[in-house]
Amino acid sequence: MDPNTQALVQTLAQGLLTGGIYALIGTGLSLIFGVMRVINFAHGDFLAVGMFIALFLFQRLHLDPYLSLLIAAPIGFGLGYLVQRFLLARLGDRLESSSMLATLGIGLILSNGLLLGFGAQPQSINVAYATKTFALGGIQISLPLLIAGLGTVLAIVLLNLFLYRTELGRAVRATAQNPLGAELQGVNTNWVQAVVFGLGVAFAVVAGVLLLPLLYAFPTVGENYTLKAFVVTVLGGLGNLPGAIAGGLILGIIESLGAYYLSNNYRDAYGLVVFLVVLLLRPEGLFGRTVKRV
Amino acid sequence: MISRPRALTYGNVWLSVILLAVMALYPFVFGKAMNFGVSTLLLAGFAMSWNILGGWAGQLSLGHAALLGIGAYTVTLFAIPERAPAWLGLAGPVAPWWGTLIGMGLAALLALVWGWLTFGLRGSYFVLSSIAVALIIRLVVINEDFGGGAEGLFMPDLPKLFGLDLFDRKVEYGLAFFFVALTLLVTHMLRRSRLGYALQAVREDEDGARALGIDPRRMKLAAFVISAMLTALGGSIYAIYLQAFEPHTLLELPLSVQIALMAIIGGRSSIQGPIIGALLLAIFGEVFRNIFANANLLIYGVLILAVTLFAPDGLVGLFKRRGSKLGANR
Repeated sequence: MDPNTQALVQTLAQGLLTGGIYALIGTGLSLIFGVMRVINFAHGDFLAVGMFIALFLFQRLHLDPYLSLLIAAPIGFGLGYLVQRFLLARLGDRLESSSMLATLGIGLILSNGLLLGFGAQPQSINVAYATKTFALGGIQISLPLLIAGLGTVLAIVLLNLFLYRTELGRAVRATAQNPLGAELQGVNTNWVQAVVFGLGVAFAVVAGVLLLPLLYAFPTVGENYTLKAFVVTVLGGLGNLPGAIAGGLILGIIESLGAYYLSNNYRDAYGLVVFLVVLLLRPEGLFGRTVKRV
Repeated sequence: MISRPRALTYGNVWLSVILLAVMALYPFVFGKAMNFGVSTLLLAGFAMSWNILGGWAGQLSLGHAALLGIGAYTVTLFAIPERAPAWLGLAGPVAPWWGTLIGMGLAALLALVWGWLTFGLRGSYFVLSSIAVALIIRLVVINEDFGGGAEGLFMPDLPKLFGLDLFDRKVEYGLAFFFVALTLLVTHMLRRSRLGYALQAVREDEDGARALGIDPRRMKLAAFVISAMLTALGGSIYAIYLQAFEPHTLLELPLSVQIALMAIIGGRSSIQGPIIGALLLAIFGEVFRNIFANANLLIYGVLILAVTLFAPDGLVGLFKRRGSKLGANR
């Protein structure tokens, strides 16, 4: 391969793997929006919570971050379940804007709680594999990034099995399509919504844990990821799960290409610009069909 | 956005006059705590300016820090001798009041473009786009030469304003007081104007308002431009008060969130709500500073949760509701 092609392939591979993680975060947000029409402004902060759970377990118990998934994911699920059950559900059918404000408040409580507990100093873990890369057909791929990409695939496969192979998954899909109709068919939609919020948060937490070997953890790290999750879901169409996956990959590739060929300083801006353009021209998302303007 | 009769809950002029009188007396009573006074007044002014777009036009912006930043950066850049002339080929630095006016103009221009592009979007989509626009502006300021990078800018020595030293805290208090009074005046005028009524109609029922011959996008644009110019004015005063600032404190999302939440916690439905919200949160911030250190937004999180759960119209709305219940029982 000539150096230019090689650089391009390298950049694309990097972008695709990063995009996988964005897809994982966006899937959680999209799942929540699809079922309960709530835009979760605390999504990135739940991701930060995941990072800090893994960091804490690593520092105190020397638990490998990937093993701590077994603890972090259920905690995330429980946290999301409780938040939906005891806070968001109480807003009743008061509008989109009050649930948005409530999740904004939850996000502030989470990020500032982490700040109180862990301090503002960025922290990282030193595991042997954090900096390990291996060569694949002439391109270098970082091991934790590859594991994160594989973890994303696994999580999304599991989610699909859940949605399309289980009774509860059917109830979730029914609630997403028509909450009242589902209720009439004997679905306990309140419970379903709490489960879905729990799942969405668990996805964010898992993404946080997978990112820990790659990034510094600090309490406000989530801010950036909340926005990335929005970009991903808007690109794919709010509530559209396959769209979220595609949106994540697209965002990852746009960022990598922009950072390499234009300027690394504006890495975070490329996605935002695309996001604004899509928002203006196709608010239903690149892959949305009949979603009407809210 | 929220369909609930609001017309009854607008505060009266006298309450505003009393609030202003209390603010005017502050320096004579608490002359030692001028920093608290100036920053609280500025926050109140920002919350009220935000409220013209967020409360009156019902467009929840989480990007107002960008407009504030434009005011602050412009007034400072135009006052620095090495930077001002290079920019526009001017002979030397521009007096701060001219810098302020230029900043307000730039903010109005940005609001026009930004609003024109995004007011077709409704609800959450506008909120998301406002965050995105503000973040892009922040990235430009940090990465381009003119903004002084991550270190930000220093305000140079400023010429005296009518013989008054602009770096005297009492003078700064006067400027902040002027900012709040002007914002309050604009809000009151808006309340009685065609634009004000049109905005309320658009907020309650956009399609209904359109049927009445109101152009919702145009009304929202007008509200955004007014809101943006006032915010930029406040930003200029904030820059003079701070003397040195960095993008980190001035352009980040938390400041935008803080501005919006002060207005919402106090009450979007009233004229004085944002002032009361700002005052309350400033006092809370002061009280909890030792306990929470820099986790000061924690209290905003708790309050906004409490408000969305128990007082959707904000604290002022809560009192009004209690009041009318008492009245009904009599």
